[in-house]
Amino acid sequence: MRAPRRLLDRRRLRLPRYTIRLRLAVLYGGVFMITGTLLLTLVFLTVRSSTHSSVAAAQGAAAKLVERRSLHVAPPGGPLSVTPESVVVRHAREQAHRLGALAVSVNNSDLHHLLVWSLVALAIMVVASMAFGWVLAGRVLRPLQLITGAARELSASTLHERLALGGPRDELRELGDTFDELLGRLEASFEAQRQFVANASHELRTPLTLERAIIEVTLADPHASAASLRAACQRVLAIGEQQEDTIDALLTLARSERGVERSEPLALDALTGEQLEERRGEIARRGLRLDSELQRAPIVGDRRLIERLIANLLDNAIQHNNHDGWLRVASSLEAGEALLTLANSGPAIAPEQVAALVRPFQRLGGERTGHDGGHGLGLSIVDAIATAHGATLTIQALPAGGLRVEVRFPDADVGPRPGPRALTRSRDTA
Amino acid sequence: MRVLLVEDHAELADTVAIGLRREGIAVDVALDGHDALARLALTDYDVLVLDRDLPGVHGDQICRSLVAEGRDGRILMLTAAGSIEDRVDGLSLGADDYLPKPFAFAELVARVRALARRSGSQQPPVLVHGDLRVDPANRLASRGGQRLSLSPKELAVLEYLLGAHGRVVSTEELLEHVWDENVDPFTTTVKVTIKRLRAKLGEPPLIETVPRGGYRI
Repeated sequence: MRAPRRLLDRRRLRLPRYTIRLRLAVLYGGVFMITGTLLLTLVFLTVRSSTHSSVAAAQGAAAKLVERRSLHVAPPGGPLSVTPESVVVRHAREQAHRLGALAVSVNNSDLHHLLVWSLVALAIMVVASMAFGWVLAGRVLRPLQLITGAARELSASTLHERLALGGPRDELRELGDTFDELLGRLEASFEAQRQFVANASHELRTPLTLERAIIEVTLADPHASAASLRAACQRVLAIGEQQEDTIDALLTLARSERGVERSEPLALDALTGEQLEERRGEIARRGLRLDSELQRAPIVGDRRLIERLIANLLDNAIQHNNHDGWLRVASSLEAGEALLTLANSGPAIAPEQVAALVRPFQRLGGERTGHDGGHGLGLSIVDAIATAHGATLTIQALPAGGLRVEVRFPDADVGPRPGPRALTRSRDTA
Repeated sequence: MRVLLVEDHAELADTVAIGLRREGIAVDVALDGHDALARLALTDYDVLVLDRDLPGVHGDQICRSLVAEGRDGRILMLTAAGSIEDRVDGLSLGADDYLPKPFAFAELVARVRALARRSGSQQPPVLVHGDLRVDPANRLASRGGQRLSLSPKELAVLEYLLGAHGRVVSTEELLEHVWDENVDPFTTTVKVTIKRLRAKLGEPPLIETVPRGGYRI
């Protein structure tokens, strides 16, 4: 049904869009028209009053002159005597009268001309000023067009481009610069996302490769014994468990970053105590000295996530520890804020490496693949859970080796910030 | 054929090495970039199986320096980075072949053999000399139509001698190309293997001993 549509298009009036540019141009023209009209009116009135007064003055002077001459010329005769002088006087008076009328009419026509040409000139200048205003407004507003264009073209592949507006440091330039900063932050976050996906896929592919290699190599052996087949199966099973852990951890990380969904009052000291109990055997096996001081520390949050946070921190402290080392766990309440502190002995860590520990898949020593079965996500998950609860995570390397970790929760009465991370909050990590 | 496998995941490296050795390929393993470079400086490998993401020196860097030196050995990149860009990137760096992980072990073996054939002179998949027929890929050797039962080392030595096309091959050369690092350099294993091989090959004798030189077919 094309034909009717085309008709409709042709008949539809295309009004210019009510843009800022149009408004500014109309504004310039309007203001000019008003001031121009006022100016011309003033001029016109001034000219008219001054010419009127001079015309009246001229008329008065002419009449006086005639009167004086008639007094001199006309003798005090009878009313019936028609002397040539009175005719002359009458003639002169008529002349003066006619001259006066002529002056007035000339004045009027001058004024009329003034009025007409003024109006014509005003009309032309209003149009000119609107046109000029249109051009000027366009020049000033061009940065806005650039920004709009750039925002329209924006996609994941063009995030490295910037507007880099030049020109004077005015409000539009500030807008452009702020937009560039926004692009910078977007680019960084996209890059982090890409990096995470690359790391995650690498982490999951490595055990898959190993499983496949073990199975294929074992099957390729024509003299494979039942024992070697059994051993291969068990190795594959162990690797499978590792993969399950990694996937589990990735899902927890994603869930933690989403934010706290369920919130309930929790006792940090009780939860920490439970997690410690579960690990007593492991702590004893490794010959670690445990020093725990769990004071009342109420918080509000998601039970499963908080349990995971405590578990990860404890596991880290236990596993990355020296044999016969020590482990200190404490929970306390400081000015309404619940505090969980862990300190453990262990290998020395350079202060620069501390910041990297919370990055996903980062392990001490920098290896990408887990030789000890760890997936390198432990501290990243702790970081994400802490942030979701509005808590601050502080990690310090101890000078004698090992780590000190502190998680400071917000006041339980105020509660954690639900939902995804706010854009304006900043995180502290030592 | 001697191969250097560079892979930072120890269990994977060991598993693959075991599998390759079972195929009659001599395999050395390096777990990081520095170790790999050190071994490459010492030995002439036929094929380098290289993981790209390595601690120490990155696999790409190893590839670049080998290409710059103009070394003879072929490079097969074996790595988790398997997207099209990664493959193009790796091959452009100078790798001769690219196999993303996870991979089928049979494919790895086939590709390694294919690269080894190209290393040095062009070699056909099946080596023929008179009535002797050797198929390394299928681990078969026959003489006059009759199947020969050779051990992996014997087969490898035979393959190497045939590949030399009548050139004299010294004991050291055989040690370097058919055995891996775990061999005692003062060993008599080469002599013993040649002796057993001769016995199995039968008449007329194919392997000629060149005094103070080595062996040749």
